[in-house]
Amino acid sequence: MDLRQLVVAITAACFLGLGLQSTASAGIIGTQDYLAAETRAGHLAEINTALSRADVQAQLVALGVDPADAVTRAAALSDTELARVAEQMQTLPAGGDSLLAVIGILFVVLLILELTGVTDIFKKI
Amino acid sequence: MVAARATLLALAAAAALAACTGVDQLVAEDAGRELTEVPFFPQTIHQCGPAALATVLGASGVDATPEQLAPLVYIPGRRGSLQVEMLAAARSKGRIAYVLEPGFSQVQAELAAGNPVLVLQDLGALGIRRWHFAVVIGHGIDRDLVILRSGTRRRLILRGNDFRRTWQAGGNWAAVVTPPDRPPATATGPGFVRALADAGRSLPGPALEAGHAAALARWPADPLVLLANGNDAYANGRTADAIRLYRQLLSIDPGNVAGRNNLANALLDAGCPQAALAEARQAAAQLAPGAALEAPVRDTLAKAAAAAGGDESLCRPK
Repeated sequence: MDLRQLVVAITAACFLGLGLQSTASAGIIGTQDYLAAETRAGHLAEINTALSRADVQAQLVALGVDPADAVTRAAALSDTELARVAEQMQTLPAGGDSLLAVIGILFVVLLILELTGVTDIFKKI
Repeated sequence: MVAARATLLALAAAAALAACTGVDQLVAEDAGRELTEVPFFPQTIHQCGPAALATVLGASGVDATPEQLAPLVYIPGRRGSLQVEMLAAARSKGRIAYVLEPGFSQVQAELAAGNPVLVLQDLGALGIRRWHFAVVIGHGIDRDLVILRSGTRRRLILRGNDFRRTWQAGGNWAAVVTPPDRPPATATGPGFVRALADAGRSLPGPALEAGHAAALARWPADPLVLLANGNDAYANGRTADAIRLYRQLLSIDPGNVAGRNNLANALLDAGCPQAALAEARQAAAQLAPGAALEAPVRDTLAKAAAAAGGDESLCRPK
C-alpha cells in the first residue's frame, strides 16, 4: 500500500463514520436528503462519495496543492462534482493561460522558422 | 537576440493595437450594455482562474484578491484551475455559484440583471488547447461585440464571432456568482434550490433559509421550492407554516412522497395523529419499491401509527 492509498483509506474511514449518520432519523426528509435521493441511491453512493473525496484530495496533493488546502478543497465539492473530478482530474479543462502563452507559441514557431532557414528576421545584419 | 526580441515585441504590439483600436471605435459608436463597476484584477502567469474568480466575487460583494483565492483553486501540476473548483471556491465565500444553460442569450440576460458572467474559453490554436477563464461584463447592441475582463486586459473587446468560437470550444460554459438571497436572472426554481444545497456546507443556516425564501417569492408554485421552505419552517418550529407549505406542494404535486411524509411529521407535531396517520399511509403507498426515501417514510408511518393508536381524535389541541 503506497502513501496515496493509505491517505485514501484513512480519509475514507473518517468520512464513512460521518456520512452514514447523516440520514434523517426523525422521519422528516430534509431538503439535502431529498436531493441526494433524487440523484443517487443510498449508502453505496455515500461510500463512493467518501472514496472520491479522499481520492480527489490525494490527487490534488500529488499535483502540488498544499495538503491542508487539499482537505478543504475536496470538502467544498458537491457529490456530483467529486465523482467527475476524481475520474478526470488530469483531463478536465484547467483554465490558466493568458495570451502570453499564445505569444510564447508564436515565438517558438518564429524561432523554428528562423532555425530552419525559412525566414531571417532574427539575423543581425 | 535582443534586437530580435525587440522586433518581435514591436510586431506583437502593433498587431494588438491594430486589432483593438478598430473594435474600440466600434463600441464607442454602439449604445452597448456594460457593467463598468465590475472590479478588475490583472492576472499573473497561469492565474486567470483566481483573477476571474476575484472579479465575479468582487462584483457580488465579496472582497477577495487573486492571491487569497489561488490556494482555493490553483493546481500547480495542471498550471490552471478547474471549473468545479471555481464554483466550489465561490460557495466557500458564502455565495451561490450557478452554471448557466448554454447560449449567449443566457449571458445577456444575466448582464441585464447586473451579474457579470464567468466564462471558459479555449484560446489555443493549431490543435493545442489553451484554457482561459475570463469575465464577460458587457456586449454591444447595434453591433455584435463582447466586452470582457480578461487576463491583463481591463477592457478586452472581441467581435461576437471571435468570442463565441473560443467559448464554444469550452462547451459554452458560463456561470454567475450571486448572494444566496438573489437568484440569478436565468435560474430555475429547482436549479436554484440545488445550487443552494451545494453551497449548504459553507452557508450559515439563516443565509440558506433567506435563499429559500427568495426562491419562494419568485417561484411560488415550484414543488421543490415549497418543500425546501416547508422544511425550513418545520426545522424552526413554525409547524403551522410548514403544514400550509406542504399542503400547497401536494396540491400541485400530489405524488410527492417527501412532501407527504413531512406533512405527516408536521401534523404529528401539531397534535393531529389521525390526520398524520392518513398522510403517512398514503406516502407509504406511493413509495416506489426500493426507493431511497423508504426508510424515513417507514419511520414516519410507525411513529404515526403509535401516536394514533391511543388517540382517536383527528386533531387535538396541543
